[in-house]
Amino acid sequence: MNIRRHRAILLAYLGMIVLLLLTSVVAPGFLSATHLRSTVVLAAFIGIVALGQTFVIIGGGIDLSVPWVLNSAAVLMTLLANSQDAPLLWIVPVLLAAGALVGMVNGFGVAIFGVPPIIMTLAVNVILQGGILVYTGGAPTSTAPQAIQFLAVGRIGGFPVVLILWIALAAIATFLLSKTAFGRHLYAVGTSATVAEFSGVPALRTTVLAYTLSGFTAALAGMLLTGYTAQAYLGMGDPYLFTSIAAVAIGGASILGGSGHYIGTIAGALVLTILTGLLPALNLSSGALLIVYGAVILVTVSLASEALSGLSAFLPRFGRSRGPSA
Amino acid sequence: MSIVDPTSRAGIAIANSGAAGTTPRRSRAAIWKSALLDRASLIIPCVMLVALLLVYASLRDGVFTLDELNLDTAAAMTLLLAATGQTIVLLRGGIDLSIGGMISLGTVLAATRFGTDPGQAAAWAFGIVAIGGLVGALNGILITVLRLQPFLVTLATWSILSGAAMIILPTDGGALPSGWTMFGVSSWLGLSSSVWLLALLLVFWFWFKRTRLGIAIRATGSNERSAFLSGVSPIGINIATYGLSGIFAALAALYLTTQTGAGSPTIGKDYILPSVAAAVIGGISLFGGRGGLVGTMIGAFILTLIGNLVFVLEVSSYWQPIVSGIILLIAVLASSIAEKSARRSLS
Repeated sequence: MNIRRHRAILLAYLGMIVLLLLTSVVAPGFLSATHLRSTVVLAAFIGIVALGQTFVIIGGGIDLSVPWVLNSAAVLMTLLANSQDAPLLWIVPVLLAAGALVGMVNGFGVAIFGVPPIIMTLAVNVILQGGILVYTGGAPTSTAPQAIQFLAVGRIGGFPVVLILWIALAAIATFLLSKTAFGRHLYAVGTSATVAEFSGVPALRTTVLAYTLSGFTAALAGMLLTGYTAQAYLGMGDPYLFTSIAAVAIGGASILGGSGHYIGTIAGALVLTILTGLLPALNLSSGALLIVYGAVILVTVSLASEALSGLSAFLPRFGRSRGPSA
Repeated sequence: MSIVDPTSRAGIAIANSGAAGTTPRRSRAAIWKSALLDRASLIIPCVMLVALLLVYASLRDGVFTLDELNLDTAAAMTLLLAATGQTIVLLRGGIDLSIGGMISLGTVLAATRFGTDPGQAAAWAFGIVAIGGLVGALNGILITVLRLQPFLVTLATWSILSGAAMIILPTDGGALPSGWTMFGVSSWLGLSSSVWLLALLLVFWFWFKRTRLGIAIRATGSNERSAFLSGVSPIGINIATYGLSGIFAALAALYLTTQTGAGSPTIGKDYILPSVAAAVIGGISLFGGRGGLVGTMIGAFILTLIGNLVFVLEVSSYWQPIVSGIILLIAVLASSIAEKSARRSLS
């Protein structure tokens, strides 16, 4: 394995382990099985949203429509299901497809019309926000169906269902990125769309697929999150814009595209969740949490940046004889 | 990364030098067409603004009065100040998300530290602007020295500044001196202080864009490498660009407190993406180097007018984001199509 190329991802896991050790010192109850389990479950929601975000960012874009794709799926599911399990059989596939469709629209806007990703996905986000608010009139919806609640908080043999789902999705994402032509195309497009196009990479299809995947995972996370909180509420997607991008960045992907991996994003999601759980234990306010989030992003992206690669002299020699990595 | 496009704006001296003389002779109609297409990114928002104004005037009396101008300018001014900083950063080819945190921090500092003594309030007002400049300069240093992406650095500093604001004032509140909140209602020659502020901003812009710094920012946004080779210091330009953005965010915060009379640790996030949207509607390219503050002002007024329209139409206020999003997409698509055909008609 070319370790140098994966330095940023290794750093993310290193950071996570250091954080866990620190935590076990300052808040001894934190490393109990119950607490760890709830931490991982919360990380799963971030991790699922950040899955699509990882693909989009590797492809050189960014998806700011995540909050209201997530929120729309959550609100529409509770509205349509009306606390019944049976209708979920058609609601869940339809909403997943709708999320994917929104992502596809993003992808077309970016890839065909050349709209900057920030603007395209921002516009789609506010249009969805307004649409859902007009449709529901801002009123709260009924509680989440039992089946969805089981997916989000239930356990099979003591193992959280949502964690099983996350592991399955992570396996698929890893396979897509590392073993398929789509994955290789995505890195190529993220490195340089023009070069990729001239080299015969189907840049348009690759970009559209990445955004489609992001719409899909945001919708999925929205429905699961509704199961977790037992109710859909307006604004529930808002925190996931910051956390999904932060998880990808902490996980070692360059925001310029062309590098990173979902394996790193998993560590990013875990780091963010451990921090969230740690600060109440230290009696710190939510303001302090935001400061720590910001500092962690700065430190991790700095460590991963080429400017500080001189620091790797202090680390074990990670295949430094190799030429500059692609 | 950035490609020098010799067919782009005539105003960008550095990218354009040498392109003249190679252009073949063209008919008068073709010259007019290319001149129009070249300015499409400013003409499109102007047309949108006029259309919105006409619709608004057909629904309501007294749209073309000084009172309406005073009201709308006051409604647009916070966004406009935030978008002024954002415009400067976008012209350099960057983006500043930290203005959200700076606006929140500015309002909570004003609401908790001004007290009742005018001298103390004035000192803190200057202090807040200085903090804005320092935080922005820090953004510029981090971006240059660590070679990090502006998006990530300012995302992180946004989080840090928001956190600081929440620690200073956990919930909306605080108080401002009564003289301070009188700023919005004071007027001179029938024009409110906000309109004079708008005029001042325009004067600032027409001065600033011709200064060495203004030209250097635009040149760097146009082509970073050639700007560097022409003697523009990379760290200097980033400190100045993001420092100015921080200063304008602080000014936006101060203006906001004259309107609301309170501080809010979360209000800043409502201005981050709208500031980018106002600039982009006004024809500023996210790839740097193109556009100006006049476009951004038009963009900010378009966004403000949409709010007014939704109000007079008596439909749900939730329509406002929908219409804003659609206008944003139309503006971007139209200028991107115009740019493509401008390139085609010249090549």
